[in-house]
Amino acid sequence: MSASTRLRTPNPHLGAYFGIVTSAFLSLVILLAMFEQLGFGRAGLTYALMLLPLAFYVAIAVGARSNDVEDFFVCGRRVPAVYNGFVLAATAVGGIGFFSYTGALFFLGFDALAIGLGLTFGMLVATVLFAPYLHKAGAYTLASFLGQRFRSRPLRMAASALQLPVTGLLLAAEIKIAAMVAAMFLPVTYPIGALLVAILIAGIVIAGGMRTVTWTGSAEFLIGAAGLAVPLIIVSVLVTHIPAPQVTYGERMTALQRSEVTMGALPGAPGRAAQPLPGEAAQASTKPFAQPFGALSKPDFIVLFLCVALGTAALPSLLVRSGVTRSAIEQRKSSAWGLLFVALFVMTAPALAAFAKALIFDALAQVSALRLPRWIGELAAMGILDARDLNSDGAVRATETLVARDGVALSLPIATGLPYVGTVLVGAAGMALALAAAASHLFTAAGSLSEDLYRLIDRRVTALPRIIAAWAAVAATAVLALCTVWTADPDPLHAALDAFAFAAATFFPVLLLGIWWRRTSSLGALAAMGTGFAVVAVDVVVGGLFGLDESGLATLIAGLIGVVAGLGAGIAISLFGPQASAAEEAYFEDMRDPDGETIYDRAQQRAAAAAAIEAARVPPP
Amino acid sequence: MASDAPETSARDRHQLRTLIYAITVLLVVLGMVLATVIAARPLNAYPFLFFPLGFYLLAQGLVILIVAATFWFARAQERIDIERGESEEY
Repeated sequence: MSASTRLRTPNPHLGAYFGIVTSAFLSLVILLAMFEQLGFGRAGLTYALMLLPLAFYVAIAVGARSNDVEDFFVCGRRVPAVYNGFVLAATAVGGIGFFSYTGALFFLGFDALAIGLGLTFGMLVATVLFAPYLHKAGAYTLASFLGQRFRSRPLRMAASALQLPVTGLLLAAEIKIAAMVAAMFLPVTYPIGALLVAILIAGIVIAGGMRTVTWTGSAEFLIGAAGLAVPLIIVSVLVTHIPAPQVTYGERMTALQRSEVTMGALPGAPGRAAQPLPGEAAQASTKPFAQPFGALSKPDFIVLFLCVALGTAALPSLLVRSGVTRSAIEQRKSSAWGLLFVALFVMTAPALAAFAKALIFDALAQVSALRLPRWIGELAAMGILDARDLNSDGAVRATETLVARDGVALSLPIATGLPYVGTVLVGAAGMALALAAAASHLFTAAGSLSEDLYRLIDRRVTALPRIIAAWAAVAATAVLALCTVWTADPDPLHAALDAFAFAAATFFPVLLLGIWWRRTSSLGALAAMGTGFAVVAVDVVVGGLFGLDESGLATLIAGLIGVVAGLGAGIAISLFGPQASAAEEAYFEDMRDPDGETIYDRAQQRAAAAAAIEAARVPPP
Repeated sequence: MASDAPETSARDRHQLRTLIYAITVLLVVLGMVLATVIAARPLNAYPFLFFPLGFYLLAQGLVILIVAATFWFARAQERIDIERGESEEY
C-alpha cells in the first residue's frame, strides 16, 4: 500500500477513553440503583440517568468541534475501523430498531424476523458492493460521488434532492422516538421534547459535522448497547440462570406457547386485506410468537426481507460514512465491524421480545382478572399495556390485552421486577441510539443539500462559506424535520420501511451500475435513479399501484419493482443512448483500484499545487 | 505501450477475482436465506437448543452465517487487493 500523503493517525488513547465512558455509565447505573434502594425519590434518579448522558454527548461535541472542511465532512479520514463500525451500527439500528423492531417482534414473532435479517444482509451487500469503492472515490456525500463519477451536475443535484425523502423520513422517525422517551421520563411534553431533541442534534452536527457525529455516535452506541445488554442479561439469569439471553429464550417459548393457547391467541392465516405490520396504537397481539407465516405470507416475508436489505445497502446515511477511514481495505473492515454489531442486536432483539411476551402472557394466563400482578398496573400507568377483562369471564384474553408497540422494550424491566433504574436505563439506551441515528441522518441530508445543491448555485471556493452553508442547511433541515414530526406525526416503523423502499428504488440501481459496470453513462444513471424513485413516489402519492393497495406491503413491493425498473432503464439508456465518455471510464478504473489516496483528495491536492505555482509565477503587486 | 501490458493484465485479473468473490458471497448467503424461508415449516419440526430449527436459523443461524461470510470476504478481498498493489510496483 502506498503511504498516504497526510498523517492519518487516530488518537492512540481512544480505546481507553471509550472504556472509561462505558464503565462510568455502568457505575452511574449501579450507583443510582443503590440510591433507589436507600429510598431516594424516583424523579431525581430518572433525571440523573437521562440528563447526565445527554450532557456528556454535548461535552463530546464541544470537545470535538471543528471548522476544518475535511474534518467536517469525513472526520479527517482517520476513524479506526471499529469506531466507524459503532456509528454504522447505531445508525442502522437507531431508536426505530430499539423500540419499533422489538415491538414488531412482540406482535409478529417469527414473521418480523425478515426485518432483522434484511438489515444484516443489507449491510453485507453494502460491504461487498459499495463501501470500499465509495471510499476510493472519496466524495463527501453520496450525491457528490454520483456527480463526480458521471461528470454530471444535474445528476448530482437530482441525487441530493432525491435522498431527502429517505433521510427526512428516518430523521423525523428518530426525532419522534427520542421525543417520546423524553416525554416519558423528563418533565417535558411531547412537542417540547421533539423541539429539544432537534436542537440537541442540530447543535451536535453544527459543532463539527462528521467529526462530532462520529465521536458522540460512538459514545451513544456504547451506552445504547450497555442499556440493552444489562437488563436483558439480568432477566435471562433470573428466568433461566444462564446469562446469555440469545440462547436461553428458546426454553421459554414452549411455556409462552401454552400461555398463548390459554389466552386464546391461536394460529391464523395471513389476511391480505388488513395491514399485516403492527401500527403505533395499542393493539391486541393475537398471533402466536413462534408460528411461521401467520401474519405475513411467505412471499410477503421475502418482499419485506429483500426491500429492507436493498434499502439498507443503499441507505445514504450509512454510505456517507464510507469516506471516514484511512483506506479502502480499512473501510471494508469497518463495514464488517458495523455488520457484526448490527448482527448482535438482531440476535438479541427477538430474545427481548420473547421474554417480554412470555412474562406478560404467563402472568395474565395464570391468574384471574381480579388478582393481576402490581406491575401490570404500572405498565398501564405508563401507557404501555391495557389488560382488562372486558367480557367479564374472569380471565384476561389475548384480544383484551392491548400493548403499545414502541413500549415493549420498556415493559421488560418492569415485568421482571427490576428496580425502577432498570426501566430508565432502557429508556436512556433507546434515547442514545435514536440521537446517534438522528444526528447521522441530519448530517447526511444537510451535508448533501449544502454541498450538492447550494454550492453548485453559489460557487465560492473559500473554506468558511462552505461550512457556513452546511450550518444553515443543518438548521433548515432540523426545522423541516421538526415540523414534520409536529404536523404529520409519522409512525416510526412504517416511516422507516417507506424510507427503505425509497432508498432501495432510488439509489440501489444507480450505485450498482455506477460501481460495477464500466459502460454506464450519465444519462443511464439519471434514468436509473429517476425511474426507481418515480415508481415508489407514484405508489406513495396515488396510494397503491397495479392493485397493490390490497396488501399492507404495497410500498415495499413498489420499492422492489422500482429496483428492477431502475436497473432496466439504466442498462437500456446506457446501451442505446450516448456512450460513456473516456473520462468517465478512467474514473471508473481509478475507483476500482484499491490502492492509493482517494480520487477526490488527489484532485484537491493537484488544484492546491496548481494554485501555488500560479501564485509564485505572478508575484503580488 | 508494451510496458502497460502486465499492469493491465494484473488489473483485469484483480477485477475478475473481485467480481467472482462478490457474486459468490452474495449468492451463497441469499440462496441460504431464501431456502430457509421456503423450508421454514418443515425445518420447524426439528428442535435445536429448544428452538424450532426454522425459527432458530432465521433468528440467529443465518445472521451468524452472514457475519462469518463478511469477515471471510473482507480477508479474502484484502489479500487480492494487496497482491494487486504489489504487482503494480514493478
